[in-house]
This record gives sequence, C-alpha cells and structure tokens, in this order.
Amino acid sequence: MAAARRLKRVAVSQPGFLGLKSNVKPSELVSSRRKRVNKNKKKNWNRHSDIHDVEDFLEDIRHQERTTGGLLSEKPDDSLFFLDVEAEPVKAEKGKRRVQRPLRIDLILQHDSMVPAPKNVTAYQQPNAKKLRRIAQKAEQLAAKGVLPRRQRRLLSRRPAEKTVKKAEANNNPDRDFYAMWGEEKVTDSADPWYLQQTGKKLVQRPEKLNQKPSVLPAVEVIAPGGSYNPDFLSHQALLQEAHDVEVQKQKQEDKLQRQLAFRKEDRATEVQTIISAVAACLYEDEDEAAAPNEDEANSALGAIAVAAKKTERQRKKEKAEKMKTQQQQASRRQTERQQQLFQLRSIKSSIKQQELQTKARRMKRKARQEAQKALPRRLGRLKYAQDLEVQLSDELAASLRQLKPEGSVLKDRFKSLQKRNLIEPRERAKFKRRLKVKYVEKRAFRQIT
Amino acid sequence: MGGTQKKKFERGSATNYITRNRARKKLQLSLPDFRRLCILKGIYPHEPKHKKKVNKGSTAPRTFYLLKDIRFLLHEPIVAKFREYKIFVRKLRKAYGKTEWSAVERLKENKPTYKLDHIIKERYPSFIDALRDIDDALCMCFLFSTFARTGKCHVQTIQLCRRLTVEWMNYVIASRSLRKVFVSIKGMYYQAEVMGQLITWLVPYQFSHDHPTDVDYRVMATFTELYTTLLGFVNFRLYHSLNLVYPPKLDIKAESELKGENEDEYAMDSESYPEKLAALSASLARVVSTAEEEDAQLDAFPTEEEDLEKVEAREKEQMQLETQKKIFEGLKFFLNREVPRESLAFVIRCFGGEVSWDRSVCIGSTYDATDETITHQIVDRPNVDKSYINRYYIQPQWVYDCVNAKVLLPVEDYFLGVTLPPHLSPFVEEKDGDYVPPEKLKIMALQRGEKPEENDEDDDEEDEEQNEDDEDEAEEKNLKEMEKQKSQGKSLQVKVTPGKMKMENPVRLEQEEKAEEKRLAIMMMKKKEKYLYDKIMFGKKRKIREANKLAAKRKAFDDTEKAKKKKTKN
Repeated sequence: MAAARRLKRVAVSQPGFLGLKSNVKPSELVSSRRKRVNKNKKKNWNRHSDIHDVEDFLEDIRHQERTTGGLLSEKPDDSLFFLDVEAEPVKAEKGKRRVQRPLRIDLILQHDSMVPAPKNVTAYQQPNAKKLRRIAQKAEQLAAKGVLPRRQRRLLSRRPAEKTVKKAEANNNPDRDFYAMWGEEKVTDSADPWYLQQTGKKLVQRPEKLNQKPSVLPAVEVIAPGGSYNPDFLSHQALLQEAHDVEVQKQKQEDKLQRQLAFRKEDRATEVQTIISAVAACLYEDEDEAAAPNEDEANSALGAIAVAAKKTERQRKKEKAEKMKTQQQQASRRQTERQQQLFQLRSIKSSIKQQELQTKARRMKRKARQEAQKALPRRLGRLKYAQDLEVQLSDELAASLRQLKPEGSVLKDRFKSLQKRNLIEPRERAKFKRRLKVKYVEKRAFRQIT
Repeated sequence: MGGTQKKKFERGSATNYITRNRARKKLQLSLPDFRRLCILKGIYPHEPKHKKKVNKGSTAPRTFYLLKDIRFLLHEPIVAKFREYKIFVRKLRKAYGKTEWSAVERLKENKPTYKLDHIIKERYPSFIDALRDIDDALCMCFLFSTFARTGKCHVQTIQLCRRLTVEWMNYVIASRSLRKVFVSIKGMYYQAEVMGQLITWLVPYQFSHDHPTDVDYRVMATFTELYTTLLGFVNFRLYHSLNLVYPPKLDIKAESELKGENEDEYAMDSESYPEKLAALSASLARVVSTAEEEDAQLDAFPTEEEDLEKVEAREKEQMQLETQKKIFEGLKFFLNREVPRESLAFVIRCFGGEVSWDRSVCIGSTYDATDETITHQIVDRPNVDKSYINRYYIQPQWVYDCVNAKVLLPVEDYFLGVTLPPHLSPFVEEKDGDYVPPEKLKIMALQRGEKPEENDEDDDEEDEEQNEDDEDEAEEKNLKEMEKQKSQGKSLQVKVTPGKMKMENPVRLEQEEKAEEKRLAIMMMKKKEKYLYDKIMFGKKRKIREANKLAAKRKAFDDTEKAKKKKTKN
C-alpha cells in the first residue's frame, strides 16, 4: 500500500504530467502535508536529505568541464574573447608557409572537454589472460634454455617425404633395364601357391597346345645360292629359271582366260550362210503352215495309244515265270562261281595283293601330301598367300659391293614370312571406298574453249 | 524316339572354333587391340579341317580361333591396360579440344603403360626355349634399328632396337660364335652358334630403303615390342654367362685408347657412349676381371661306352674349331671409306683381327691409314692413289669368303680390279652326286691343306695348250708311221727286249680286290634284290649325269669367257 502510494507520487512529480482536472496543478496534487521523518536515523540520511543545491552546483561544474574543457573562470581571456580589429583581407600567399593556421575542421574536432572518453574495458579484456601469460612466460624460459616445444620436436623428427616420381616405365624405353628372368638360382614365387590362388593373384596356366609352333618352317629362310650379290653362274641360272617358271604360269593363266572368253570362229556365221538361212526360212514358212495341222492329229492319236489296257492274267503269269527264271539262273550262276572260286584262289590272292599294294601306295602318297601341306601356308582369311621371288637379272648384277643395288625389302620379307608361318593372316592395304560418286564438271571458262 | 533331336552345329568342331569378330566381342576390345593382344600372347588363327562344318554350312572365308585360346585370353591382365589406354586417349582428346593445357600435361605424365615381362616368362619358361625363338627377334630388331627416326613409329623403339642389336653383336664378338656369312641381294645373312643352337639372322643394307606401302606397320611394331623385351632378357643372360657386365661397358684399357680429340664432332655427350659401343672396336668390361684369356683345357671324361676313337675324333674336332675361330688373329685391317664398315668390323673382330677406319667415318677408330703395321686394307675402288708396300689391298669379299671357308684364302684372287670369284652360299649342303662348282672344289682343297692350284693365267694356259697340242701331234705322228709301215708289209721294228719288273702297287691291288668282291656280290644277288639295286644305281647315276651336264655347261660358259677375254686382249 505504501509502495503504491509512493509510485503514484513519483508519477505525479514527473514533468509534463497531466492530471484529469486541468485546472489543478500536478504539484498541488501531491499533498504538501508530509509525514514527519526522523533525520537522525541512518536509514533516513540518504532518503530524506535535501542536497539539491550542492548537486546543482556540482552539476554545473561538470557541465562546464564537459563542454568547454575546463571551468570558464579559469580560462584565459584569449580563448573566450577576441578583439575585432578591422583588418584587410588576408591575401593567401600561395606557396609560402601555408600551414600557418590550423584547419578549422581540426579545431572543431579537437578534444575540448576535460572529461576523457570512457574506456571500453571489455575491449581490453582477454579470457584466460593470466593463464596465457603464464604459458608464454614458461615457453620463453624454456626457449632461453634451449628446449624446443614438443610440436617442433615432432616436426623435426619426422622423416622427410621422399618425392619419388612414380613413373611407370614404358616398355620401349631405350634405357630400360632387364633382370635375370631365367634365374640361375631357383627363384620361385616367395608366396604360398594357396595364398596366391585364394587372393586371385595366381596367373592362369598356359594351355599346352599353344606351345607348339603353327608351322614347321624355320624362322629365317636363307635365299637360294643364286641370290648372292656375286653369284655362281649356274645357281644364278637356276634362280632365273624359277622366276621364269612363275612368270610362265601367270602368263598361262591369262592366256587360258583369254581363250575362254574369245569369240569362236564357228559361232561366227559367214555372209553366205546368213543369206542362205534367211532364204530358207522364207521358203519353208508356207510349208510349215500346211504341215502344222497334220502333226496335231498325229500327236492326239499317239496320246490315245499311251493309255494302255489293263494287264491280263496271262501277261501277269508270264512275267512271274520270267522273274523266277532269271532269279534261278542268277542263283545257279552264283553257286557255280563260288565253287569255281576254289580253283581260282591263286589269282584271287594275287589280285588282293595288288589291291593292298595300291592302297599302301595311296596311303603313303596321302601321308606325304599331308606332310607337304604342313609346310604350306594355311588359308586363314579372305586373301590367299602370295609369294614373291627376289632375283636380279644378269645385267643388273653388280660388279662390286659398292655398286650393289639391294633387291626387295627386308620389311616386306619379314611380313611375308610371318604370313607364311601362319602367325598372321595375309593382309592388304585397305582401299579407299567412296560412298558417293564424284561428279566432274568443267568450269564454264574451259567449256568455252573446248 | 523320345527326347530332343540332335541339332546341327551344336557339338563337335563347330563349337571348338570361334570367329574373329565373335572373339573380339567376347573380349570387348577393338580390332587393332585384339590383334595386338593375340600377337603378344602368341595366339594364332587356325584353319579347321572341315571348314563347312565349322562355318555352319557356308564357305565364306573367315578367320577362326580356337575357343579355348580365347578363353585363356580373358585372364590376361594386359587387357585391362588396353582399356585404360583407350580411356586415356579419350580424356586427352577432350583436354586438347577444350585447350586445357594443364590437364593435358597432367594426363601425359600419368600415361598408362604396360610391361610384357610376365608374358615372356609364360611363353618361354626356360632359356633354351627363348634361344630357339631368337632368330625372328634378331631380324626384327636389326630391321627396326635401320629405320629413319622420323617419328612414324616410336623413336624410342628404334633406339631400343639399336641398343639391343649392338649388345648382341658385342656378345657374338666376345664369344667368337659367328660361323657363316652370306652376302645376298636382300641383305646379309649371318649364322652363329650360341649354346649349341644355330641362330640365323638377316641384316638389311644400310642404304636401301623405300618403305613398301602394303606392310602393316602396327603389326610389325607389336611384334617388335615383344621381341625387344625377349632379346633384352636373353642378352642379360648371355652376358652373365660370359661373365661380362650387363648394361655393357667398355673395358677401361680400351676406353682410354678410344678417347680421341673432338669427340663432340661425332655425337652428343649423352649419345657418345652408346656410339662408341656401336663402333665394335673395343672389348667389353668383365665382372670379375681375369688376367688373360687362356684356352680352357677340355676335361678328360673317362667314358666306358664310347670308344677311344670317338673321343679322339671329338677332341680333334674341338681343336679344329678353336683354330677356325682365330683365322684373323694377328692381322691388322684398315677399312676404306666406301666399304660397309659395321658389317666388316663385326666379322673381322669375331675372328680375332684388329680393325680400324678413317677418322671421318665414325667414332672409335683406333689407328690411322698411315700406320705401318697394317697388313690388309679393304678397298672397293678401282684403284688407290697411294699404296704402301707391306700391305695387301683387297676387296671386301675376301673377308666373307675366308670366314665361310674357315681358312685364309689366297689374296691374289681379290686384288683391286680383278674379277672376283663368285661368292658361294655357305648355307648349301652338297650331297654326294650333286654338282659342286669348281670354286668350291678349290676351297675344299685349300681346307684340306693342299697347295693352291695354278691360277688360270693366260700365259700359262697358252703354254699348256701349246704343249698339249705338241704332244698330241707327236703321238699322231707315231701312229701314222706305224700304220704306214704295216701297210707296206714291213715288219714293225718290234724287238724282244728283256722284261721289266713291274712294281705292284699295293694300294691299287687292294682297290682291285674290293672291286672284284663287289662284282661277285652283285652277281650273287637274288632277282628281286638285284632289281632294287638297279633302281638305286639308276637314281644315283642320274644325279651324276646331271652334274656332268652342268659341268659341261659351265665349261662351255668358261670357254666363251676365255674367248671373249682373248678377243679383247687382241
């Protein structure tokens, strides 16, 4: 209750308070009859002592200090007043001691109050400042002694990272090195085979069939003695003969083709024959027309005969008898043959022997042919293997090693050898196939010329 | 009948084979990658016996592979590398297209590569297998090392091939294993015997080259890739077997000899060492240096089964071989500028000779043309301007012919300007009845140690002919006289003179006895056996007749040549 009354009194004493009744002043609202207080009690020294005059005075002093930078009474005359003498307009001498008077803005912004700006304490506050200071001091002491902190020690003791450029060496690097593959000492896999198998690192075994060579021919076939740069006469002739044979075969093939495609003389009718045949055709035309209807009748008659009558009993019996007869004859013939064979044993034996010999000879031939086949190149693809022969004609032979002009190229020879030994299939260069036809058009200028 | 019917082409050979395209799809590779994989792994196409069955009734020419082989290919780790490479190419192309150069650099640095070592180990489980297949490898490596370094095929491959071939040649020199050389129109054929295997290879001429267009370079490059790896490992093993340092180093002594002035005229610093090795003029360094090479004494194995004769024969053979390996020992050669230096240097050094060449030709020449101790100078020109007295000037064919004949041939046939005897092929083995060219007969005579026969010089021939003519005339004269006398009825001046003792030639007697025995044996043969014998003899005689025919032809040719020569002379 007392608190509420106090609150009301405080509210009323605020400046600008408007009561309900306008003609009543707020100061009068507060009842002047006051409760009597005992000023000797400590409690009341603070509450009910009136020090507002002192307060005002102090407030005034503080105000002066704050705004004008000191008590006005203590200020010198120059700072408060100035003599207004009629002076000429001061001509600003350019370039000479321009910095005589300080700038007006600097004067305005000068700190002219005796009250210093308040210090933001929190800006200088550091949590754990003491602790950190202590730590830093300790570190300084240790550093002065020479002991490094643990972190630095660990950094220094770390092994330097080996900057190995992990370059996977290419297989055809000219400086690559080789090691002992077929080691003299038994260099077996250090790991257990079971381990290798379980971890999937074991290499699959190569099938046995792949170790056989696909051809019995040697890798390098030396050229015939006629291929020497300075050959013996006869061996050179032999080589020329071989080349000649190959060419003759080719020529024969061509000739055969030409012959087959040639126009035969017999097919070509001479002029006389054509005339005769033309005349004959005209002559026989009339006769044909007359003969034609007769033939039709004859044909129909023949057709009628073809539909025969049924076989009679007699005919059937006859046929049966004939059949029996032939069968009996054949049986008896076979019987006699079998009996006679007993006396023909010797000739039979000899004929059997001959047949055996023949079969043996054929078997040998077939085997020989098969062996020869192994040496031939197999047909592995679309193209057939073509062999070319290197030979120099007699007038191309060189007089000395210096003047020798090499024949053929080893690259081609090796390529052909690989094909011959069935290592690769015969291949030829891919032809350039145009999808769209090229159209040739003459330029207008040229068209006028030609 | 119950159950499903058997369908065609579901079992048997039709299921053992697979076409190339099917195989490619199974492996999920592109065609060039598939080809490369097959070449590397040694998988070759097969021609089936019954093509129609395998091809399901059609006769279209298709390439077939065995299904088991393709299944084996599926396990190959290189297949993954091929796919990685394809992706790498795709990424690189994108980076180029977007002009992201940093990405290009990064990708190029991490380019995926593969190694073929495990494939070599799988295909050639033992060293002898690898040696058997080394012919092909050598030919390819020699071929590729002669290519021009234009960038059409990887320059690295060419360099690697060059290095390997030089190593191989140095090995052959160090082990003295070269046996035969044949200079042909295609190239030079060499044959060496390494660890009991006869290895033949072909070296193209340095100056040929017109690259043919119908050869697939990718295929050849793949083969070379495989073969360079193989040859590298084989070289390593061979070098270690001879106790030499493997990437080969020149002997310290020899290197100091070779150090001449102006070395940078020949090659860059990085290349001068391999170039010196390639010069083949110095010996190689050993792992454990031995003082001097001594002839290893053959151990005497006491074999009970073999006869003493066989052992002696073998020893004799061995001694012969040793002498044949040293035919050029002690001789000093100098090669003129126009002869093929590398080939001759290789051959000469293989047989113990010393060789050098003009300083302007190549690095590594040890002595100059003015050296007094040179015994032979190899020249290929019609004449030389300055000639020293104590050396022979010969054409290069002499060296090759000596190597093939395994004996030093007379130098006179190979002088400058002389028509050379034909260069015979050492790879031809003549059987008994075959035609043997007269040059070969001469060489065989030399090998047996007989003195060289008289050369066909014109003066001698003429003298001989004249002599023969004279003799013939004398004989004819005698006969004519005798006839005349007889016809004239005079008794011939034949007197009875005391008999002379005829010395019986025991060798001839033996031969006659043997012939008699043979004739008796023939008479005693049964009809059938005689029939067979006649057939065999007929065959033999036919060969001899043919050889005689060829010899007659040759004689006719020689006569015409002589007549021509006489005409030009006159």
